[in-house]
Amino acid sequence: MSSTHLDRPSGVLQRAPSGHLGPSYKPKEEKPTATVSTEVTHSNVTILPQTPQLIALLTMIRNKATNRADFIFYSNRINRLLVEEALNHLPVLPHTITTPVDRTYNGVKFEGKICGVSIMRAGEAMEQALRECCRSVRIGKILIQRDEETSKPRLFYDKLPEDVSQRWVLLLDPMLATGGSALMAIDVLRSKGVPEEHILFLNLIASPEGAANFAQRYPKVRIVTAFVDQGLNEKNYIVPGLGDFGDRYYTL
Amino acid sequence: MTSPNPEPPLSPTTLQCTPRRASAASDHRVQRAHYSPPWANTSIIGIAGSSGSGKTSLSHAIIRELNLPWVVIMSMDSFYRPLMPEQSAAAFSNEYDFDAPEAIDFDNLVEKLRQVKSGQKANIPLYSFEKHARLDRTTTIYSPHVMILEGIFALHDERVLDLLDLKIFAEADADLCLSRRLLRDVRERGRDIEGCVKQWFRFVKPNFHKFVEPQRHIADIIVPRGIENKVAISMVTDRIHKTLAQKSRLHQVELKRLGKVSEDDPLSANVSILHHTNQIRGINTLLSRPDLDREDFIFYFDRLTAILIEKACDIGLTFKPCRISTPVPNETYRGFALDGEVSAVVILRGGSCLETGLKRVIPDCRTGRMLIQTNFRTGEPELHFYKLALDIAEHGCVFLLDPQMSSGGAALMAVRVLLDHGVSEERIVFVVYMAGKMGLRRLMSVFPEIRVVVCRIVEDLERRWVEQRYLGC
Repeated sequence: MSSTHLDRPSGVLQRAPSGHLGPSYKPKEEKPTATVSTEVTHSNVTILPQTPQLIALLTMIRNKATNRADFIFYSNRINRLLVEEALNHLPVLPHTITTPVDRTYNGVKFEGKICGVSIMRAGEAMEQALRECCRSVRIGKILIQRDEETSKPRLFYDKLPEDVSQRWVLLLDPMLATGGSALMAIDVLRSKGVPEEHILFLNLIASPEGAANFAQRYPKVRIVTAFVDQGLNEKNYIVPGLGDFGDRYYTL
Repeated sequence: MTSPNPEPPLSPTTLQCTPRRASAASDHRVQRAHYSPPWANTSIIGIAGSSGSGKTSLSHAIIRELNLPWVVIMSMDSFYRPLMPEQSAAAFSNEYDFDAPEAIDFDNLVEKLRQVKSGQKANIPLYSFEKHARLDRTTTIYSPHVMILEGIFALHDERVLDLLDLKIFAEADADLCLSRRLLRDVRERGRDIEGCVKQWFRFVKPNFHKFVEPQRHIADIIVPRGIENKVAISMVTDRIHKTLAQKSRLHQVELKRLGKVSEDDPLSANVSILHHTNQIRGINTLLSRPDLDREDFIFYFDRLTAILIEKACDIGLTFKPCRISTPVPNETYRGFALDGEVSAVVILRGGSCLETGLKRVIPDCRTGRMLIQTNFRTGEPELHFYKLALDIAEHGCVFLLDPQMSSGGAALMAVRVLLDHGVSEERIVFVVYMAGKMGLRRLMSVFPEIRVVVCRIVEDLERRWVEQRYLGC
């Protein structure tokens, strides 16, 4: 990835615009304004609906004054929304049943097996939300760290379900900055035989640059995110962002 | 793909808007149907009689015989006027005339009776005979179907008489009255015998002839021998049973009428139906399968409830803009903070199934409770118990939780109870898993400004099976 590409990510309509947010029954002037997600045109990116409630949750976890207990609780609530949204991208089959009051319900049944794969360590913070939606789901782990000498991401460890190639993979990492480690995690999954289109990448806050990198490298991987932020600073931190997710969740 | 926009935030989408008042005006045109709960037009029974004639025990005997939660006694003792210091001194030396009509605050009594009669909440003062003063606290009477007003002057004031549906005069021999009064005042009200006897001859007896006895002539029934008079008691309770049955019938007719009024209306825009994504359809399929394990049922129901509550938060909560600093140096974010407290009220027993999901979204949510049971014989919803946060009227949003709604009777009643406790209509969000259209239309035709969040629209009048599956009995 070239630095010029990072400077001008493709597919960005408008960085971090303002939006009047509120229920549809309220006239526009009664809806307060907030900064909402950057719009991107990549068809593989799904951004959660920017409801006032979601913005309030994001405000909580972005705020540096928020304590750890609240940070954990509110990030988990958003993570659950992400998992619920991601699961909707899985295929279903028609399934008609008879209800307890003897009526017919034209329902659906879930098709295919899934597993979670978290990119250590921050990705593990999203496992709780996944478990709350899918009780006994298998969860693999991938450890990728930045190499001190080359400052490139390097794979240190991976442990995945043996039949991972037969499963839909929910890849977990809360922050998508440049996308270096997430793209490497996808390389790992691909090398184990997981088709690109069977990977769903769940993340809380993405940068337009990271989203553009994904669209270019793996356009069939579905990204499900709560918010595409304004951009990256000179240290490649997402801005305004929320700081280091792992530190705030585990140690701060 | 369009080219990147190098402009920082705060962009043209913020825009000017001319304030529009049209929405406020159109609100007044909302069609509103009338609903009276079964406790509106409360029947009030007045029981008068001499001091010691056994009014209280007669009232208690009637209540015991009825054994129903919707019948309450209100004693006129609660309405003694607070005494001035010199009157208070007189009272402690048994020189104050408690047995004259002037001792009673009839204006206050009439006000409270009118509130009860119209189905509203009434705060009844408490009077201490030991201190001869009103206490700071009050007791609340709400939603009785029948009320018994007992006191020596229950049939004295014209305005009270207008509110009474049945007028009873309890009669007993004077010597029996005196001995009863002596026993009660000495045992229960901390008086001495001499003082009581002095009071009797100075005040009670003359007042009886002057004010109490004349009430005999306006009574519908005169009951001699008090609680020993089984025939009279059963006559009165029969009459109350008839009144209650009549009220129940009227309420049923009322509910049916509301169904007809709104049969053809489209569902109100204030009813939000959860978007049926694959996951939600899949979960609904699992929940509807009679052979699903209870463990799985609870797991999937809780999962769905959390989604339902998230949706209710989107709809009901209000936010104010705020700007916060993120841990990244010099970075701020313009977001929202919650404005006003959110609380919940569960309609028991079914509503308790939604509490796990509620607590996943708002772990410290204050939760009131209301036990509304449908009488299996009449199909009539009945309010048995309720306990709400004292400051519920100030909450920014109140979620009312019930897993299922069929006729809408319980929901109508629950919303009415919230309104009577000062919660304004537009702050109520009724959260329900399954509902029939008829019930929803009824509810919205009576309370058009509440919001409803529902997961599934089902056939009308579906049996309440969800709570049975969830709770296992």
